[in-house]
Order: sequence, then structure tokens, then C-alpha cells
Amino acid sequence: MKRLMTSTALAAMVMAMAPAAMADTFSIGVSNTVQGNGWREQMICAMRTQARDSGMVDRLVVAHRNTDAAGQLEDLRNLIEAGVDAIVLNPSSPDALNSAIEDALEAGIVVVAVDQGVSADGVYILSNNQEEYAYLGARWLFEHIGGEGTVVYMRGAAGTSADNDRHNGFTRALEAFPGVSVAHEVHTGWQQDRGKQQMLDFLATGIPFDGVWTSGIDNVIVDAFVESGAPLVPIVGADNAGFVSQLLSVEGLEGAAVTNPGSVGGAGITLALQVLQGDAPEDMTVLVDPVLWENVTEEGRAMIEAAQNPNLDPDWPVSVTVPGWTTYTTEEIIACEGPA
Amino acid sequence: MTRVLRSNLWAIGLAVLLLVLLGLTKLIQPSFGFNGLESLARASLPFAFATAAMAVVVIVGGIDLSVGSMMAVCSVTAAVLMTMMGWVPAVAITLLVGLAMGAINGSLIVVTRVPDIVVTLAMLFVWEGVALLILGSPGGTADRALTGMVRGWTGPVPSALLLMLICVFAVWWPLSRSKLGLSIYATGSDEEAAFRSGVAVGRTRVAAYAICGLYCAMGGLSLVMLTGIGEPVPGPYLMASVAAVVLGGVVLGGGRGGMLGPIIGVFVLRIIRTMLTLMGVDPNVTTIVEGSIMVAVVMLGGFIMLRGRKT
Repeated sequence: MKRLMTSTALAAMVMAMAPAAMADTFSIGVSNTVQGNGWREQMICAMRTQARDSGMVDRLVVAHRNTDAAGQLEDLRNLIEAGVDAIVLNPSSPDALNSAIEDALEAGIVVVAVDQGVSADGVYILSNNQEEYAYLGARWLFEHIGGEGTVVYMRGAAGTSADNDRHNGFTRALEAFPGVSVAHEVHTGWQQDRGKQQMLDFLATGIPFDGVWTSGIDNVIVDAFVESGAPLVPIVGADNAGFVSQLLSVEGLEGAAVTNPGSVGGAGITLALQVLQGDAPEDMTVLVDPVLWENVTEEGRAMIEAAQNPNLDPDWPVSVTVPGWTTYTTEEIIACEGPA
Repeated sequence: MTRVLRSNLWAIGLAVLLLVLLGLTKLIQPSFGFNGLESLARASLPFAFATAAMAVVVIVGGIDLSVGSMMAVCSVTAAVLMTMMGWVPAVAITLLVGLAMGAINGSLIVVTRVPDIVVTLAMLFVWEGVALLILGSPGGTADRALTGMVRGWTGPVPSALLLMLICVFAVWWPLSRSKLGLSIYATGSDEEAAFRSGVAVGRTRVAAYAICGLYCAMGGLSLVMLTGIGEPVPGPYLMASVAAVVLGGVVLGGGRGGMLGPIIGVFVLRIIRTMLTLMGVDPNVTTIVEGSIMVAVVMLGGFIMLRGRKT
């Protein structure tokens, strides 16, 4: 009897463990077209770390370089050739990649676009809510300058869907404040050096303005003010570590950081794995909502201080995880190790 | 026969290298097959045209740094025109625009006597600005007939490869056999000697730059065909074209080299990129590997040629 019980217990244990032991492992391909930008580097690290942490990814093929849409088409086709089960990409264009994406879907590959959307049908989109991102920051800025004055509007890369969505959010906020107008509008291309030079050039013209809204190229804009000795105006940026620490340390700087976690890349890996396991979300588009941290109130400063991490790269967003989507720790993403 | 072999020795060597690399790719990724070849042909398309454009001006003894920008101008021109008219007139106008831009580059060089590298560097920015003026952000459209041309197979050959070979050699083959072709080689080889032998050096150079512009127009069109839209910001085609030209056995400085070598060079560089992706090499290392392989091949090639000449 005892023996029977033992063997039953053993059988039960084996049964209970079976799904875990039989859990499939998958290979995932990653495609990204901006290299050397802190946000994108964090996105890649989040993808690597989440793939490792999930324990379900045996191979992660990363195509990560600076290129145009035609180059991303090439990378996507190479990933299809590599025989991956899913592709997680940050698309360089909403329309230009459809031919390769259709090839991938036809081959039975799960396609997840993170950060920005694509127009092809059948693609899962996991993105920060870019419209809301711009609206939150712009509304705070316009309120903070008293609903009156002119602002410098520093956009991202022309023609990308994230930039278009943010433009819609910015415009929505602008319409709510008839007293505010745009003094100068530029595209930084999300490049630190370019954005800084554009600000230095504009400061040199001497045209007065009351605030700056930047599409995430922020700490170098503060640097531009400090270096040229221009009086600081309120600046809105993203939650990049460098800018967030400036919000606490730079004398006279009033501003706000809107969260835009690059770790959304890790969430994209989680979504791809869910779909591969037959657990697809009902909606093809999943949006992550942003939060605003400002440094002019006590509560705001407390939130910023809590988010600080001295080990982070100054160009990385400080929100290194996406609650509910990523499972790794901050130390793990800083180590940036992919599946063994 | 031996003469044909000897004059194309470099291209043949490269072709062998390409075959070896294709074999290696198959080893790394056993499923690499016809689909992979078709992808490779498509990916190589804009690079091949950029390289053809660069090869012509390098042979005439110059260099054109505005290749990528001219491609961008042509890509947005074509994408915008196709929102208004059929693809045939749109393509024709784009080719003329390319030809004209190239001719402007060449004329500026000949008339002002400013070095090629300086004029075309300046024109890089000019054409980049022109492209952004035509289309501020990626957009426009491409006719389905055009995008279909680069998809799938035509008999045993990937359509994209066939289209590229026809377009490149429809211009190059008659050119290299004409008086103008001879003048281009003569000018690139020794401008002074060419001039004294009665070659209209100035006109030859303008013509070579115009042909470079024409190839850039084809490159811009190929971008529209691949992506279905026009992109005003130039892609990574300038440096890649110089690399393929050098790899293809064209001597920087002019007068020596053909068109077949550089075109095969394009495929060699693309397949290396494919291999590195398939192997999952750290993306931050891939560009270093690509550069190192290029230097190694050119050095090895030069060494073999030198040895061959001695014996």
C-alpha cells in the first residue's frame, strides 16, 4: 500500500512537472535601425534580458544597426532565413516594411512591432502611448508658463509613426492653450549631437522664448543652455537618466520628464512568447501609458529621487521595467546578457 | 579565350569567393535556399546601382560623394510623381532628373576646376536638401507594377537580379564599347595624355558624371520599388558603394577596372552581412568584421596579382 502511494505520488509529481519539462523553447529575431541611441540600446538590452529571464528562448538573433527602410527589409528577410519563430522589430517606417512582414507572416512567424506601429495586418503592436506622451508633457509645459508665450518644439525623426503620434498629442495640447505658439520647430532625428547643435544655433539667434518641449533629446539641451550661459527656461523631456538627474541637480532648471521606457522592447518579447504559446491578447495593439515627473513640487521631486539609479547610463531611460510585462531586475538589464 | 579570362581575372576570383561564401551560408543555415537567394538579390539592388554609379566616376579618375543624396532625390521624385501620374512617365522623368543632377556635378567640377571630392561633398548637402524640399518626411507611393518587378523569380533567375543586370549592363555594355567609353578610360588613366591624344577631357568627365547620375536614378527607383515609398534621408549607400568598387578591382585614381567586379563585390558584401546575422554575431561587432574582411580581401587580391605578375 505504501509503495502504491509512493508511486502514485511520484506519478502525480511527474504529471505536474510534465508541462514545465515539455515547455517549448523558441527562437526570436530582433530588428532595429538606430544604433548608439540610449533609448534603443536599453530596448535591445531589455529584449536580451527578458528573453533570457523567460527561459523559453533558446536563440535570439539580433539585427541592430543604423540603416534605412531598405536595410531593415534586408534584415527582416535575413531573420526569416534564420528560421526564427517570432520577430520583434522597431519599425523604421509604418508602410515601407510591409512586403517583408507579409513574407514573415506567410512563413508562420509571429511579428510584434514595439515602440511604433506598422500598417500591415496581422502584426501585434506593443507601444508606449506616444500621443499621450506628448500631450502630457506639452500640457504641463503650457500650464507652467502660464498659458502664454512661445516654445521651441524639438521633434524626433521625420516621418516615423512615433513622431507623427507625438505631433498629434503636442498639437492637441497646443489647441487647448490659444495663448501659446511655437517659436521654432526642428527635427532632431533623435540624435543627441544634432539636437544640441540645433539648440545652440537657435540660442545664438537671440530670439526670446519661454519653454522647450523635446522629443526625448533632453539632457544635451540643458547642456546647451548651461554652456552658452543662456537663462534657463522650463524644459520638458523624457525620463532619460541624464535629464532626470539634471532635474534634481541643475540650479534654476524647472522641468518635467515623461516616462517612455525603452524596456518596452522586453515587453515585446513577452508578448511574442504569449502569442507563440497560443495566449494571444484580444486586441492587436497594446499601449503602455506614460507618467509625468516634474521637479517644481515636493511630490514630483520625491518621485524623481525614487527613480534615480546611479548605475544607469545617462542616456538610458530610468524606467527600466514595464510592470506586468517584464520580469527581470534592474541589475540584470544593466548586465544586458542574452539567452545563454 | 585566355585573354578574356585574364582581363576578368579579378571578377572571376570574386565570383569564386561569392560561391564559397554562399556555400558557407548554407552550412551555417541549412535551410538557406532559393528564398535566401531571392532576398539577397533584392537587398543588393540599391547597393548595386550605387556601386555602378560610383564605378563610372572612379574609372574616369574622380569620385562622387553625392551618390546617396542623388538616390534620395530620385527616390522622392519618383514616389511623388507616382501619386500624380502613371509609372512609365514617372520613371522616365526620374531618370532624366538623375542624368541632369550628374551632369550638374560634372560641369561644376570641369568648369570650376575645384577637385571632385570637394564639389561632390558640397553637392551631397545640396542634393540632401533638395530631397527634403521635395518630401519633408517619408511618403509618396509606388505603382504595383513596379513593386512587383522586384519580387519572385523570372525563370531560374530572381527578378530583382535580372532587372539589375539588365539596367546596369544596358548602359554599361554599349558605353564601354563606344568612343566615349574609351575616352573615359583614357581620361582616368592619364588626363594629360588623353588630352594630347585629342580626347575632349572636359566633356568626357561631364558625361561620366551624368551616367553616374543616371545609375543613381535607377538606385533611387529601386528603393521606391523595394519599400513602396520615397525616403528623403539618404541611406548607407555612399560608403558601401566605395567599398564594393574597391573590392571589385577598380583602381581608385582611375583608368582601370570594369563593371562586373564591382557588381559581384556588392553581392559579396551583402552575403557577409547575411552570414553575420545568421550566425548571431554581436551587432556592434558586425561592422568591424565587415570592414576587416574587405581590407583582407583587397590586400590578398593585390598580393596574388603581384605574385602572378612576377612569375
